[in-house]
Amino acid sequence: MNHRDDGAARRMPKRTRRIILAVVAFAGVAVYLFPIYWMLISGFKSSAEIFANPPTFFPSAPNLDAFRSVFVQENIARYLRHRVIIAIPVTALTLGLGAMGAYAMSRIRSRLVDVALVTVLLLQVFPEALIATPMFIIFKSIGILNTFFAVILATTSKVLAFALVILRPMFLQVPSELEEASYVDGCTRFQAFWRIVLPLMRAPLAVVGAIAFAQAYGQFVYPITLLNRQELQPGSVGIYAFIGAETADWHRVMAFASIYVLPIIALFLLLQRNIVSGLTAGALK
Amino acid sequence: MRRGPRGIDAAWLIAMAHARSPLLLVFLLAPVFYLLALIGFPILYNILMSFQEVTLGNLSKLLRPFVGLDNYREVFADPVFRQVFVNSLVFVGVNVVGQVTLGLMAALFFAETFAGAHFLRGLLLATWMLPGLVVGALWKWMFASQYGVVNFVLEALHAIGGPVHWLSDPAIAMTTVNIAHIWYIMPFSMILIAAALTAIPLEQYEAAELDGAGPVARLRYITLPALRPTLLAVACLVTIYSMRAFDMIFALTQGGPLDSSNVLPLLSYQFSFQQFKFGIGAAVGTFAVVFVFAVALVYVRTLKHEARA
Repeated sequence: MNHRDDGAARRMPKRTRRIILAVVAFAGVAVYLFPIYWMLISGFKSSAEIFANPPTFFPSAPNLDAFRSVFVQENIARYLRHRVIIAIPVTALTLGLGAMGAYAMSRIRSRLVDVALVTVLLLQVFPEALIATPMFIIFKSIGILNTFFAVILATTSKVLAFALVILRPMFLQVPSELEEASYVDGCTRFQAFWRIVLPLMRAPLAVVGAIAFAQAYGQFVYPITLLNRQELQPGSVGIYAFIGAETADWHRVMAFASIYVLPIIALFLLLQRNIVSGLTAGALK
Repeated sequence: MRRGPRGIDAAWLIAMAHARSPLLLVFLLAPVFYLLALIGFPILYNILMSFQEVTLGNLSKLLRPFVGLDNYREVFADPVFRQVFVNSLVFVGVNVVGQVTLGLMAALFFAETFAGAHFLRGLLLATWMLPGLVVGALWKWMFASQYGVVNFVLEALHAIGGPVHWLSDPAIAMTTVNIAHIWYIMPFSMILIAAALTAIPLEQYEAAELDGAGPVARLRYITLPALRPTLLAVACLVTIYSMRAFDMIFALTQGGPLDSSNVLPLLSYQFSFQQFKFGIGAAVGTFAVVFVFAVALVYVRTLKHEARA
């Protein structure tokens, strides 16, 4: 029995009401996610059908021409390779530093943790577009501009704070008695962290890893700023390279976008339940 | 390593283990120093640059001629800056109001009992996971004046007389950017609000119902007061997220036409990397940094109050 419901409950049988709610919810979500559907089907249209009026809500002659041209002419494979080369180390670095920091925040009992947490919360708010300029200059003077290393360092700073905020309450839920028992068996603190705490944190770490990967994979400001040498450009500008013009080949743009977001959508559908519960547990604490 | 007979001097071993907490300190400081080095330092460097004359020639040098407040004076005299500053306030304001209102409505709706409520609610979060660049490209196609599906649907419904120039009309571009960004981030706000909603004890609703409180009264006197700290925290987060919006706007309008949909971080970036006026870009950036930092302080205070309550 739900007590937040409205007075309609009294006038309508509960069953009917629930069916109506489910139908409204399904329709609402379908409308909300329509743009994603529109992106996915636009790539299957021909260059004539894409500009048809009225537009077709299901491709009348689905074909793979746009996808083929994106692979052949736009070299999307190179772009995706760049994104993955950046996203995997960022995910690893974020999980490593995030787990360390969150574990320490859950075990140290002193004001130092509050200071660290407030520092992290305050540092996470600065827009990347503003950090990109000084970072460009700093990286230029230490000679790591135009390297993946620079983009990996920069992108990790964007996702790390988020990881700490999400992971800290999760680590707080692991009772420290478990570790204390292992000290009796001669474990060091590092061994206790590595062998006892981390295996228990597999699910939250998967959530944070998925979000870190998605964010690093989709990041645009740092690659375009820090990989600005001509031959690196195709790998960093990606989809942006061919949407500048007013008369874009939208079926090709959408085919590019569809392939690009496929790993993120797959990751999301796979971990949807965990991502939602992970966010609700941590994001505001 | 000393290994005592099990259980006999366990207390001593535990004490020793706690004395090994230098490891914990390293664990704590590693990520904090990482963030200080890669966010804190660049932000301070940016503030320093805003008082200097920075050219392409002296870009790599630390010592550059100081020009006092000249960069700021130039920025404040620039009508484009004033317009973009107002745009940023509008963008943040509309997003806060839009996302908190829609997020609250959606969260209340999905808190009802029906089949698939949790699954459907979670599905909405897909928009939040997308790259900003893709969201921008996607809405640029949706909003295209001639072949865009938005204009087609609105015309079919007789909501508009002729095609609306969502992206090329300076009077409308900001609205377009607002719609796209609310669509992008609102599900995240909704999830945060929904979490706080489930934390309200059902007994409160039962008691209120016994006292004869209708649905409106229950919303007004139980739900909203209980959600107040969360809504404030979400409002702060939406402000922070909106100030970070760059990729999406870059793909959607590039801040145009005529800077009508430009925002401070994008303007700062354009000064630095399109006009190579790094000092001016830094001054605009510092202005945005101060604004974001003030909101962040409110946010941290809100979280502390909530943790105590």
